[in-house]
Amino acid sequence: MKKKIKTTWVIDDDEIYLFWTTKMIRELELSENILVYHDGQQAIEELKAINTAGEKFPEVILLDINMPIMNGWDFLEEFVKIPHQNDTKVLVYVVSSSIAQEDLERAKQFDVVHNYILKPLTVEQLKEVMAVVV
Amino acid sequence: MRNFVDLGIEQREVMLEKALSVARIGFWEVDLTNNKVTWSRITKEIHEVPDDYIPNLEEGVNFYKEGKYREEISRLVQTAMEKGVPWDTELIIVTTTGNEVWVRAKGEVEIVDGKPVRLFGTFQDIDEKKRAQIKYNEASKRLALATNEAKIGIWDYNVVDNILVWDDNMFKLYGLKKTDFSGVVEAWESSIHPDDKERSQHEVELALKGEKEFDTEFRIIKPNGEVNHIKAHATVQRDSSGNPLKMIGINHDITVLKNTRLELLRSQESLAGAFENSSVGMALVGLDGKWIQVNNSVCNSLGYTIEELMQLTFQDITHPDDLQKDLQLLQELIDGKRDSYQIEKRYYHKKGYLVYVLLTVTGVYNVDGSLSHFISQIVDITSRIEAEEKQQKLNEITMEQNKNLLNFAHIVSHNLRSHSTNMSMLIDFLNKEKNSSEKEKIMGMLKSASNGLNETVTHLNEVVQIKTTALQLMKTVNLVQAVKDAKNNIQALIGEKNAQIDVDVSTDHVVKAVPAYLDSILLNLFTNALKYSSPERTPLLRITSKACDKRIVLEFKDNGLGIDLERHGDKIFGMFKTFHRHKDAKGIGLFITKNQIEAMGGNISVESKVDKGATFKLDFERAKKVEH
Repeated sequence: MKKKIKTTWVIDDDEIYLFWTTKMIRELELSENILVYHDGQQAIEELKAINTAGEKFPEVILLDINMPIMNGWDFLEEFVKIPHQNDTKVLVYVVSSSIAQEDLERAKQFDVVHNYILKPLTVEQLKEVMAVVV
Repeated sequence: MRNFVDLGIEQREVMLEKALSVARIGFWEVDLTNNKVTWSRITKEIHEVPDDYIPNLEEGVNFYKEGKYREEISRLVQTAMEKGVPWDTELIIVTTTGNEVWVRAKGEVEIVDGKPVRLFGTFQDIDEKKRAQIKYNEASKRLALATNEAKIGIWDYNVVDNILVWDDNMFKLYGLKKTDFSGVVEAWESSIHPDDKERSQHEVELALKGEKEFDTEFRIIKPNGEVNHIKAHATVQRDSSGNPLKMIGINHDITVLKNTRLELLRSQESLAGAFENSSVGMALVGLDGKWIQVNNSVCNSLGYTIEELMQLTFQDITHPDDLQKDLQLLQELIDGKRDSYQIEKRYYHKKGYLVYVLLTVTGVYNVDGSLSHFISQIVDITSRIEAEEKQQKLNEITMEQNKNLLNFAHIVSHNLRSHSTNMSMLIDFLNKEKNSSEKEKIMGMLKSASNGLNETVTHLNEVVQIKTTALQLMKTVNLVQAVKDAKNNIQALIGEKNAQIDVDVSTDHVVKAVPAYLDSILLNLFTNALKYSSPERTPLLRITSKACDKRIVLEFKDNGLGIDLERHGDKIFGMFKTFHRHKDAKGIGLFITKNQIEAMGGNISVESKVDKGATFKLDFERAKKVEH
């Protein structure tokens, strides 16, 4: 059996998406832990807390762009400001239903963003994402 | 009284001696038989030798100034002795004290038996007379040279005998030959231009009568037909009883001067005409910046009368941001670094608005090369600049609209896609799912996704409606009434939140609005204020209005949760943007509100502090109150 990812974060405000994505990850046993955040603000606060406590960051983050309170872009801006203490790199995947070229270009500007996935997120895409980490 | 002849010989000699003394005439004699020389007292005086001086022939000759004078006297004496010819000449001697003196030397030879035996003659001091004559000759020569050079003709008219004498220059001026000139005043008159003849004759008469000095101008016609302008001046000589004897005067050809003046006058007239009537603003500006002269065009552009403008300097009416550049270039002009300059600048019109001009400034110099004043050409380009600015604004609006459209297209695609992707995902799962209760659950989700899609389409449609609905739906609306109606509509929510609502809107505040939009806006602001109220305090909402010129500002001030404007300021009125974790937050209300108010020519702004509350300000166009 292949090595499993320790922790995956899904940051999105779409309940249907969240339900099915977490369900798939669980059923495919791709990650030991799955944490869900409904907006960027919740997620960034948690990351800061982890950093302060000196604990480990998640290995994969699936990030939506259009969210209330703090959107995906603002989250990324804040995220890159957190000094990295982990040896392992955090892989951020932008998962959005926006097909605007502008959004794709903007995602490329962030080194931390590993790829841009257009919704709907398929099982195959999920498997690929996790395979990269392992 | 006795006659000179009756006088005794001694007496006669004494008198002669006196006469000779007064005339400074001395006598001399050389006896050639013994070479004895005799000089009279006057002769000795002229030579400035003492009375006991004993002259000899050689010394006598050596008194003559060395060079041509001494050679001349030697030659004359020689000729006299050889041929018996007497001499009478004027020469310079050098006296014993070194003075040079002009003398008239006369001499003759007495010949006996064909042999010269005696030389004798007189010796006269003519120094004063000679020198005066030389001076006079020099002056005459100078005068002749000057009159020739200046083409000044001199004439002399003997009034009594009607004799008119012209010098050479006169003949040249009139183009006449001496032989063709009859020498009477009519000869002059016949050369005068017919139009000037009568006046000129009259002026001569006046001068002769002593009523007016002869100082005039007239035209003459030369034999070749050429017309020249003559300036004439004369003085009248009179006898002791005041009768005119002579008129002596000059003529001077002033044709060139006259023509130049005429040309100058014409060019001044045409320049003045051009200056006055030019559609280009023109001004003469002094070195101190004061206007010397301005034309109508400048006045029209700047809105001042000529008199008002003359009281101002160009600095007074130049836009402060353009003054430095203008002054710097002007300084370069003054320093001689440039001859002219051209800039675009702004003046203030008398009414206060800006006038855009293209200014060209050229320096005008005095004869000595120093700067006299400036010529400014002022082309009013306000309409061009305004057209450019209008164009620019139109471009900006178009670009903004394009940007909005693109943004809108993105929003539409994103929001439709977020629902459709969910639906396709759900259908995918539905196909795979065997468990019927799970299938039921998926079906529920599908329904919710489909509802969401429907709702989004409705919202988008509303937005499109706002954007396309024209201003013709604008009506005059009483604000306070609209606010009260909106408040009544959400009475249930107010009761549920136990909120306190203060409405303090003047009944005079009447605005232009689309009633449906206004209702929607007010309802949205009411519900927002209540929805995002703080659970920790009694919700307070205060609605006030104030008038500002032609606008009415309506204020919604609450004490609710507030919004972090530093973070969300730019997105608060964006589509599908939400800032609270609230189940009903959809991010469409404020977006629609903003679109609606802007469609009515108004504006919305917000001030807020987190957990302190928010104040929304709506800006409307004020309408005239309808009297009932």
